[in-house]
Order: sequence, then C-alpha cells, then structure tokens
Amino acid sequence: MRIREPAGPTRRRRYDWGAYLYLVPAFAFYVVFLLRPVVESVWIAFFDWDGISASTWVGNANFADVLGSQQIWQAAGHSMVFIVFYALVPTVLALVFIGVIARIRVRGLAFFRAALFVPYILSTVVVAIAWRWIFAESGPLNTALRSIGLGGLARTWLGDFDTALPSVGVIGTWVMFGLAFVLFVSGLQAIPAELFEAARIDGAGPFREFFAVTLPALRGEIQVALVLMITAALRNFDIVWNTTSGGPGTSTTVPSYFIYREAFVTHHVGRASAIAVALTVLIIAVVATVMRLTREPGGGAR
Amino acid sequence: MHHQRRSGVRALAAITAAAALTLAGCSAPGGGSSAPAEVTDAISGPVTAEQVAQLGDLTLSVWADQGEQDFMDKVIPAYEDAYPNVTVDIQYKSYNDLMATVLNAMNSADAPDVTQGNQGWATDGALVKAGLIRPLDDLAAAYDYEAAAGDSITQLEWSADGSSFGSGSIYGMSPDNQMVGIFYNKAKLAALGLDVPRTLDDFDKALAAAKDAGETPLILGNSDKASAMQTLSLVQGALTPAADTRAWITGVDGATFDVPSNAEAIDHFAGWVSSGYVSPGYDGTSPDDAVAAFAAGDGVFFIGGNWYAGTIADGATFGFAAGLKDGGYASSGSFGLPWHVSAKSDATLAALAFVGMINSADTATTLASVNRVPIHAVEAGEPGTIFPDLLTASAEQLDNGGPLYWYDWATDTMFDTFTSGLQEVLGGQGSSSDLLTQIQDDWAAFHTK
Repeated sequence: MRIREPAGPTRRRRYDWGAYLYLVPAFAFYVVFLLRPVVESVWIAFFDWDGISASTWVGNANFADVLGSQQIWQAAGHSMVFIVFYALVPTVLALVFIGVIARIRVRGLAFFRAALFVPYILSTVVVAIAWRWIFAESGPLNTALRSIGLGGLARTWLGDFDTALPSVGVIGTWVMFGLAFVLFVSGLQAIPAELFEAARIDGAGPFREFFAVTLPALRGEIQVALVLMITAALRNFDIVWNTTSGGPGTSTTVPSYFIYREAFVTHHVGRASAIAVALTVLIIAVVATVMRLTREPGGGAR
Repeated sequence: MHHQRRSGVRALAAITAAAALTLAGCSAPGGGSSAPAEVTDAISGPVTAEQVAQLGDLTLSVWADQGEQDFMDKVIPAYEDAYPNVTVDIQYKSYNDLMATVLNAMNSADAPDVTQGNQGWATDGALVKAGLIRPLDDLAAAYDYEAAAGDSITQLEWSADGSSFGSGSIYGMSPDNQMVGIFYNKAKLAALGLDVPRTLDDFDKALAAAKDAGETPLILGNSDKASAMQTLSLVQGALTPAADTRAWITGVDGATFDVPSNAEAIDHFAGWVSSGYVSPGYDGTSPDDAVAAFAAGDGVFFIGGNWYAGTIADGATFGFAAGLKDGGYASSGSFGLPWHVSAKSDATLAALAFVGMINSADTATTLASVNRVPIHAVEAGEPGTIFPDLLTASAEQLDNGGPLYWYDWATDTMFDTFTSGLQEVLGGQGSSSDLLTQIQDDWAAFHTK
C-alpha cells in the first residue's frame, strides 16, 4: 500500500494512520469493557452510593475512611504475607528445581511439567475445598503427622489463630509453583547449550553455573512469573473466601474480601470502589518495584 | 523516529482517556431519588381466578432461592391450575447469588414480578428504600397472615423510606419458620441415662456427663463464622429476655446489647470451649462437615438450624428440641426468606395471588410435606422422621419467648463485628466485655447515621 505523501513542505509522515484502523475493533472492546469500568470505579469512589438510589458526593471521604481503617491495613498486611507465599517461595523453589534439572537429565520432564501445572489451572473453589479437607482436624496432614509420631504438631490448621494465615499461604504456594516451574523450564530450554559448555570448560561448579548462566538467562521469565504471582497474591479472594472466610477472627482477611462485602452485602458501592482503587494502586506500586528490580542491568527496556 | 513515536503514543493515550471518560459519563452515578412504592390497587379478599383472568394470558416471572425447589415443584402446578391464564417462569439462584443480584435485578427494566429477599438492612431495607417492592398490608389481611405470624411479623415491617424496621407496612411474607435448636443423639443420651436437657443447668450437666463418658459433647463447625453465633443464641436466649434482644436488633431507641446477662452468656459459651465440651478444631470445620459427622454418629449434641433436618433426618436416632426453658425457648430464628412483589410489575394481581397462595393456610400442608416448618399449624408430620420434633419445637418457640431473629440483622456490618469477635473470645484471644463494647459501638454508629 502506497503511503500518500501530501504535497508541499509538510513533513513526511513516518507511519501509516490507515494501519491503526485495524486496531479499532479490539480497541473499542478494550475501552468499553476494561477502561471504562476502571474509570467508572474511580469516579464512583467519590460518592456514597448504594448501587441503585441517588448518590451523594462525598469527595475524598471514602478514601480517607479506607486509608484510616485499621481493618483494611490489617488486610493489606495479610496480602503482603501472601506475596511471600504466592510469589517468593514458589519462585525460589522453582529455581532450585531448575538448577537441578540443568545438571541432571530428567526422564519424562514433559509429564512433570504438565502434572505440576495442573494446580494452577484448577478452579480455585476446587482447590480451596480440597485443601480444607487436607487441613482438617482428622484430615490427611494431621493423620500423617500422628502416624510418624509428630502428633504434637497436629492441629486444625485453618482454624487456629496462629497457623491460619500461613496455611492459606501454603495453598497459594502449591498453586503457583507449577506456573513458575513451567515458565522457567521453557526459559531453561531456550538457553543455548554453548553457554553451559563454556561455563564448564572454564571450570564452573554447579552453583557458579547457576548464578552465572541460568539465572541471568531466566530474568525475563522471573519477571513475568513474579508479576503474575504477586498480582494473584494481592487480589486473592476465592481461596480465602472458601477456606476461612477471613477467619478465625480477622486473621486471614484480605482487601478483596472487604470489596465483596461492601459492594454486595452492605451496599456501600462507593466505599467498595475506594478499596478497589487503593488495592489497584498498591498492586501497580509493587509490580513497578519488581519490574525495576528485575530489569536488565545497564538500563534500557527489554 | 523515537521522538515522533512518543508523541504518537501520547496522542493515543489522550484519545483513549477521553473516550473512557466520556463513556463513563461525568454525572453522579445512580438514579434519581426514589419515591416510596405506593399501593393503588389494594385487594380486599383472596384473589380470584376471574380477577386474574381479566389480565389475559401472561407470564409471571419469579426469582427464588435454590432451597425452594422442592416446595415450588408442588406449588407452581397448583397455582397454574387455579389461574389457567398464567404461566410461571421461575429462576432459582443460590443464596449468595440471590443476595448479590436481587437488588439490581429488581431495579432493572425487566425486573421479576415476584422475588425472594432477606430480612434486614442489606436486602429488604435496600429494596424498600429504593421503592422497588410493593407494600403487602392488603395481601396479609386478605389471607389471614397476620394472625399466623403473631408478634414476629415485625421482622417484615419497614418504614416507608426503609430507614427503620420493626414497624410500619408489611413488605414481605414468608410461610415457614426457621430456628436454631438442639439436635440430640437419642441412643447416646439414653446410654448416659439423661433426659433431653431443657434448662441451662441441665444442659451443662449433660455436657459434663458426656465428656466424662468419653464422648464429644457438642459438635460445632464454624468455618463460615455464622454457626458459633447461632450456637451462642441458645445460651443468650436463656439469659436475656427475648423481647430485649429483638428490640435491639430492630433498632429501638436506647436499646443496648452491652448488658451483664449477655456478657454472662458469652462467657458461659467460652467456658464450654475451654472445658473441652466443643469438638476440637471447630473454626476450621465447615458446618456442612460438622452436620455430616453428627448425622454419622459423632457427638451427643449439635446446636444448629432446623434446616439441617434434611441431613439429620432419621427420627429414630436423632431428636430436635427448641431452645432452653429459661428464656421461653428463645433462640436465633426467623421466618424463612420473605416473598416480595415488585412495585413495577404489570401483573400485580397475578403476583399477589402467587404470594398469597404460598403463604395461605391451605398450602401449609404442602410445605410440611417437603419437611419445612410452616408458621400455620399443621398436623404432626410423618412419624419415624425427625420432622414432628421440628413442628413441636417451632410451636413451642412461637408460643413462648419467640425467636431472637439473627444478631447480624442489627446493622449492615454486624456480621463481621459479631462473628470475628466471637471467634476471638472463644479462642481465648479477647474478652467478652471488649466484644460487647465493639458490638454496641457498631450499633450506635449505624443508628446515628
């Protein structure tokens, strides 16, 4: 297609506006179903609204209320703990596995990849119910502990004030590990074999090889995995809702739980929107930090 | 090239933002102020087939909770027989789905003609405030509902602007009674040589005896957080007058929950937990799992709602008793989900006929046949099942202290305040006086808004 150049001294256009027309359908969809609701949510957060009747403008009152709410800060704190379980632990575990796989030939790797990925694609309700059974007072975990003589450790993991939060975290680790593993394995397979050979010729042992060759090459995958897992940790709703409903007491509350209650149960849609906006800002801040920390050394976008 | 691309991207971003803002519309969200629903077509007697026939052929759209299916499967054919020109189109929703969507559905252009709601501020209050449901005083009078409901009709009454409940017009009608009571294992009680305990003292003694005999005295599953609150009602109902609790829940001026008898009730329950009378790990067990365990033979007592009789159904092994005599058999309870008629319906007579039929004395036997407890008096149910016990218990409670409603009706945030706090007190992480202060503060904040 010839780019029509306008006559006269106008500057020559470097790109073709006509091509952007192909983007219009997808763009329209994106604006209507993604951008508009986001903007609308931010807008609603400035009102006191029950979802149906007339609303009243309250300016920053909802935001002030949310930021001053001890409940919400406690929930945000729990979300931070979930980042450790949903993102950091699976990443480290997956990297350990990768380090081992890089050295040892594993038979049936394709099968393991598929099997370990299954938790991630399972419905979260199924996951929650299955783990509720595992953690139950007379469930498999306690039975196993008792049978090897560690009965003193057995307890109702999800019902105990001290262990409820880590227990829900462990569920998250189990779900997210497969994602990290699959991403890193495909990253590993993309590393040219020459790099490993060169490292070995230079006399690198397994640890040196891991930190000099494998880890830097996986930087992109690690970034993707962390972003996905951190977002999941901060947005977490289904697993908490279906295991502990935020209990016992308030030991496993998360911001999404309050968004749900405010929007659908107590009908304070403005306040729910304010919490949602605050949560979004938090997620963006954390993800931006992660991307900054994991970018290519020497600057420049990847 | 770099520079031009950036400015191109910026232009695109600006266009996008503008498009999004325009679409969002910069006006205040929500409709205009809503007028209270008015009744312009009051009926004076039960709706006749001739009256409905005048509407011509029509479809009546109905939304109902999933638990109504057994009952509706019998009622709808009877209704369509009585009013041949009407076809009923019913949609069932799970409880959570219904609560989350009913408000918006009733506000939409094609709102259902008839729907179930839920007593309390979150659902019925919002529906009344937005003028979405029709007052049903004329319907209640026409079908003799008020006599059957008695004092408990207050749970269905709202002021016209939805700002207070417990008095005003009747906005919903519900045919069945739900209550918390004591399920007991007959064989185990007999083995312990005990009668069914009907006073708090007797109950304490029974729990202690069960523990000594190596049984789990009381089965509890509280991962939903609501169950412990319902169990508490048995003790609280025995120590504090039911009328006081109901007054507090419906927001009567000056009512307070922070009284010594309530502190005693919470401490008493906490005492059961610390004495080891309650099944271990209850905060991590779901109520369904707990009920299943009890129905399979675990434990001596289970305190829960009469709706669990679907699972704990064997009348030979299990029995059901109302609350404790000390408080007039009061415990948490209320009518089931109320039925409402849309204020925007164009088939109001047909809708009124439907709701009237569901709540009439004639349909009470149909309700009993699917093991739900009607508020109208019915003949004793099928022997061998636990159902006759349910009927006796319901009558005992309604005739004496009456139901306590549900504590979380008191304010729209009370569920979290009460249940989380109770978990903490029972787990030894807080004191009952702190909990009562929090509960009363929540109530006060809500009622000064």
